[in-house]
Amino acid sequence: MAQINMLGVSKRFGDLEVISDTTLEIKDGEFTVFVGPSGCGKSTLLRLLAGLDELTSGEINLNNQRIDHLAPAKRGLAMVFQSYALYPHMTVYQNMSYALKVAKEQKTVIDEKVKKAAEILQLSEYLDRKPKELSGGQRQRVAIGRAIVREPKVFLFDEPLSNLDAKLRVQMRIELTKLHKKLKTTMIYVTHDQVEAMTMADKIVVINNGRVEQVGAPLELYRRPANQFVAGFIGSPAMNFFSGVIKDVTTTGVHFDINNSGTSIFVKCPSADVSIGEKIQFGVRPEHFIFTKKTDQIITGKVYAVERLGGETYIYMSSETEEDVIVHCNGDREVKIGEKIDVGFSIEDCHLFNSKGWAIR
Amino acid sequence: MKATNFITIENLLIQIFLASAAIVMLYPIFMMVLSGFKTTPEIFMSPFSMPKKFNIENFQVIWEKTNVPRYFLNSIIVTVSSIALLLITGTMAAYAISRYKFRGALMVSLFFLSGLMLPLRLAIIPLFIQLKYLGLIDSLLGLIFIYTAMSLPATVFILTGFLRSLPKELEDSARMDGASELRIMLDIMVPLVSPALVIAGIYSAVPIWNDFFFPLIFIQSPEWKTLAQGLTTFFGEYSINYGVLYAGLSLASLPMIFIFIVQSRRFIAGMTAGALK
Amino acid sequence: MDNSSYKRAKNFRKLKRQLWLSFLLLPPALILITFIFLPMASALLYSVYDWDGLIRGDFVGLENFKKVLLDPDRNWFFFNALKNNVLVFISLMVIQNGTALVIALFLAREPKGARFYQVVFFIPVILSTVIIGFQWKMFLNPVFGLINKILNAVGLNEWALPWLGLPETALPTMILVNAWAWVGFPAIVFLAAIHRIPQDLIEAARLDGGSEWQIAKDIIWPLMAPAVTIIVVLTFIGSFNWFELPYIMAGLEGSPAYSTDMLGLLFYRTAFGSISAGGTEFGIGSALAVIIFLVIFVFSIIATKILVAREVELN
Repeated sequence: MAQINMLGVSKRFGDLEVISDTTLEIKDGEFTVFVGPSGCGKSTLLRLLAGLDELTSGEINLNNQRIDHLAPAKRGLAMVFQSYALYPHMTVYQNMSYALKVAKEQKTVIDEKVKKAAEILQLSEYLDRKPKELSGGQRQRVAIGRAIVREPKVFLFDEPLSNLDAKLRVQMRIELTKLHKKLKTTMIYVTHDQVEAMTMADKIVVINNGRVEQVGAPLELYRRPANQFVAGFIGSPAMNFFSGVIKDVTTTGVHFDINNSGTSIFVKCPSADVSIGEKIQFGVRPEHFIFTKKTDQIITGKVYAVERLGGETYIYMSSETEEDVIVHCNGDREVKIGEKIDVGFSIEDCHLFNSKGWAIR
Repeated sequence: MKATNFITIENLLIQIFLASAAIVMLYPIFMMVLSGFKTTPEIFMSPFSMPKKFNIENFQVIWEKTNVPRYFLNSIIVTVSSIALLLITGTMAAYAISRYKFRGALMVSLFFLSGLMLPLRLAIIPLFIQLKYLGLIDSLLGLIFIYTAMSLPATVFILTGFLRSLPKELEDSARMDGASELRIMLDIMVPLVSPALVIAGIYSAVPIWNDFFFPLIFIQSPEWKTLAQGLTTFFGEYSINYGVLYAGLSLASLPMIFIFIVQSRRFIAGMTAGALK
Repeated sequence: MDNSSYKRAKNFRKLKRQLWLSFLLLPPALILITFIFLPMASALLYSVYDWDGLIRGDFVGLENFKKVLLDPDRNWFFFNALKNNVLVFISLMVIQNGTALVIALFLAREPKGARFYQVVFFIPVILSTVIIGFQWKMFLNPVFGLINKILNAVGLNEWALPWLGLPETALPTMILVNAWAWVGFPAIVFLAAIHRIPQDLIEAARLDGGSEWQIAKDIIWPLMAPAVTIIVVLTFIGSFNWFELPYIMAGLEGSPAYSTDMLGLLFYRTAFGSISAGGTEFGIGSALAVIIFLVIFVFSIIATKILVAREVELN
């Protein structure tokens, strides 16, 4: 049972505000991912939770008990670090048992717990080795094992997979998800990689510039981004944005022109809070373009690069309004550089954002 | 620059130069040790020949009739205690400077480093009066404190560099594991800089072991004299008994030479640690 | 718990941290203050007072400095010693550090036995100056010493001089002994600096057709500048603190005829008394110490400034 409440949490380093007035709730057993670009404050938020950094203001509650005044180890959390932070001079066994030894746990109890964790993580035969004798993936598992042994209320992961190669990363992603299913413990996971966030999270917290931009389930963020930042950050390749100007507002939706090109588009949004003449951005995901003329809207562009990945293809083109557009299509579509193509999209798939970046719905 | 796997005139000349230089370096030491096994007349009559027989009489004289063994012991006590005190206090200061952010941290590290610039010998007069006041004249403890203080800036400098290079996550990880700050320091961080401790230790131990200046001024009683200082007394006593004198010099230098040859890599790294950043 | 008790808990953690930091910093700071900073500051203070033995007398301003530098009865000693120290520095720069540079350049080419040579050249560095001084004093004994026996044996009888007994040869001889003892130190420092130069730079120069001499002059020498800076400064400090070797080999009076007198010896004589200088003179001694310190300090700053300007940052 572990549920976390952060209330008005903020953190300053001197004049620099790294986290500003953040309120967040994490439910018991949830796998929550903090995601955002590097330097956005996501790691700091995790460290505040862990107690490695001191709050400037606000409070943190674990199961409705305040914990922000407690020393890290007294909060009942365990953390897995990006560099694994294994103690280089200790064996795997010593690494995993160190916390228990510090807590003056009985030898037999320590032994039992370490062996059990080693078994879960398939580390049993490596217990006598030093970290430098292990592969990257094994080190990663030891770091997780060190956390498991402590039987924490919450696991904290700080970019734990970023030092692994691509293949191992996919594998560890799945293993971590499995581990979460097995332990059913609350886990908080920090990453800059939105793919990790999308694939592992029950709940994603998108952070930018020290602020929470949006909280929600992966597909919810994908389908209904609350603002332009989330729209651009979630999904790969990133959403295409076009600037436009509102031409007309009706009770059912808005009419706008792309870059004053005269191409007028109508989008349904009954309660839009916009005025005529307002500059807006509208976005379409690369995978939502279709190669048919029968769609609602058409964009014409000149292809300047094609990336063929085999199963799929990305077309890079510049539109008539001189905006860079990425189009996703299937692998065998014929397209030449320099060619002019028309791509269409359905108005259900496009997103509008007002001049402040907030979604217009 | 491995361009020297085949014989060229150039390489030959380099070898000749280096080999002659090596002879110039080694021959005096070799002669010193060799002469220790000769009688004094033998040294004067046939200085270059091998001793007729390797007699250890000279060494016996030193062992039984002089204070040299006592000087040895004093030097060991002073060096070992100074280095122990030095490494403990040096690690403490370096750890605080390198691992914590606190107000005035820069001032504190400058305070320790500024000691590097101060030649303590020139403050020998006030130091003398001060030690007299503290009752530390003619005592090994006085020397131990002076040597510790004298070597502390360099030790803090060397150790700070190494401690700073350890990743912060290790410390955080131990903190999450519930280790106290003291345990983090002793269990995790300090063991990881043990090579640096050896380097810093050697860097200071050699000059301390060899020092002559401070005992010359602060130590008067024969029973507290250190080896380097005691040798001057010994030379006064045996002024032209060259056999005994050479034996004394050999005895004083061989342990150091032996330890150096066994640990040459560490010694060279240690002694040049101050000159190489 | 109300809000103030959380504050108290946090403050308690802060206090604990401060205590811990104080625990770490205070003992070493105390040692340093007591045995370095306090005496150094006192030396400055002592130099402007009159002293009667161990008892401090009146404030005399710069009187002690004047005595060292301007008093016709004694300033000869100061300038004679200063001249000798400068001579030692220049000679060591040329003989000791010059040889060291040659050794380092040769060793950097990794000849057979390079490791062995490094160890051999370094042996005297770890030995006490007292041992080296006595050993060479015995070798240099005009009658019984090894050096003159060698010279006689090879037929150079007229060269068999009392090396330490003549004013013209005593100091040069001692400088050579010092160079013998210390050459390994700059050699190793230079060698380490050369090893630090990226290999591809030297290989690139070799591919460009540079001779070994050109490579040494145009690539290695400029890039090992930081090591040169350090060695120059260390040699200066060493030369101006030269005490043990002349004390052992020539005695406290810099014999013969003060030809080997050094500022260090003069300082010792002034401070603690000797046959020639008479009783202890703490005030004048302290003034002398301050002057020596200033000479070293000013030179180090200037030398570092000039030499660092020559250094190039490697990548």
